[in-house]
Amino acid sequence: MIYLDNAATTYPKPRAVRIAVQRALVRYGANPGRAGHAMAIASSEEVYRCRCEAADFFNAPGPECVAFTLNCTSAVNFVLKGLLHAGDHVVVSCLEHNAVMRPLHALAASGVTWTEARVFPGDNDRTVAAFREALRDNTKLVFCTHASNVWGIRLPVERIAALARQYGVPTAVDCAQSAGLLPIDMADSGIDYLCAAGHKGLYGPMGTGMLITPHGGELATLVEGGTGTESLSQEQPSGMPERFESGTVNMPGIAGLRAGIDFVRCTGRSHILEHEISLLRSLYAGLSATDGVELYTPMPDPRWCAPVLSFNLRGMASEEVGRALGACGIAVRAGLHCAPSAHRFYGTLERGAVRICPSAFSTQTDMRTLLAAVRQILMKKSRKKALNLSKDMVK
Amino acid sequence: MGKPMIEVGSVTYAMKGRGLLARYGIWSRVEKIARTAQGRGCSFGIYVPNRTNEAENILKREGIPVFGRSEREVQL
Repeated sequence: MIYLDNAATTYPKPRAVRIAVQRALVRYGANPGRAGHAMAIASSEEVYRCRCEAADFFNAPGPECVAFTLNCTSAVNFVLKGLLHAGDHVVVSCLEHNAVMRPLHALAASGVTWTEARVFPGDNDRTVAAFREALRDNTKLVFCTHASNVWGIRLPVERIAALARQYGVPTAVDCAQSAGLLPIDMADSGIDYLCAAGHKGLYGPMGTGMLITPHGGELATLVEGGTGTESLSQEQPSGMPERFESGTVNMPGIAGLRAGIDFVRCTGRSHILEHEISLLRSLYAGLSATDGVELYTPMPDPRWCAPVLSFNLRGMASEEVGRALGACGIAVRAGLHCAPSAHRFYGTLERGAVRICPSAFSTQTDMRTLLAAVRQILMKKSRKKALNLSKDMVK
Repeated sequence: MGKPMIEVGSVTYAMKGRGLLARYGIWSRVEKIARTAQGRGCSFGIYVPNRTNEAENILKREGIPVFGRSEREVQL
């Protein structure tokens, strides 16, 4: 199988990640942060090493700023529902995933409103201006994706965070698609809340995500419970990261995530980005030279996009193309990618699109095989159409 | 010598504190505390048998929330 659905979850995982997960199941079988026996402390040490690795990777103020979550979506929910109250206003981009939009719709019932700022691909000045225009007196948060999970369009989050800070508004960024690929520096960027998936560009196992923030104590909690600390109190602890880690954490997943972050660091984040972009540029060149392929975005350029490319084939539904590619042994994601806003942006809300996302392990041969498969699908479709036409003529 | 267990509230801060103290050449160990001096229930602390006062000051200066000091629980 040629796996090109890495925007959903990267596969395969690096060998070091698989080994780390297996080792955790053997060596770190006790709850971290709870008991004081040797294996519990060893588990806690491993979790702490991952916090340090993540804090260092994103240049967060310290390991205590890293709370492990189920995924990026749960981190997003912690921020939105922990910060916003009736009468509050939020600025989001027009490319947000449902991980952001569905919690906002749920919050609308309690009087939270939002404005979608338009994104201008390749023109950061206009994008930042759109965010400025969207700010209101009651804006309590700017929340935007770092890179669209459908089109790869990259938002100037550092400039947006600087703008928001001028108005005293905190910024949260959905880094589901960018963590491990695009540069993210919490100290330099002024991002207040960073939500990341562990199982995508950081090459960790599924069931891992992170909320990274120095302001966790300011968020109300969605989930309360045992943290192994302050047990006599019925109040949820205010300190990070325990405030957001009630119950037993995903110990094997966190161990795998640490190995994944280490893999990205050792391979080189920018090297992985360049590799994936070069693959997509080759694919883009081939697709744009193929009659019947509908492309929506310009040639991939790391200044303006993350390595995600979506397209359609003329006269075919995206799911039909996805199925046909699947029959050729190529795994892609077709449809709406849980991001109707992003599809509305390019007018693909009705038919969706076929999304291609390579990983560090993808090759130019994978791209050539995909291109050949796309051309074969188009050819079959064309033959079938011609056949139907001749049948009609005979009738 | 004084009470050698510095209570810091969470295992995360205990481990961070241990790392900070190591940079100052102070040996320490992370240990579980069943009941804190302030009666807050389970917690974690940093056992610092030597230079404890200095260690506490370093931790406070470096932003580690210190909740108090206690005797180390007797190990059987």
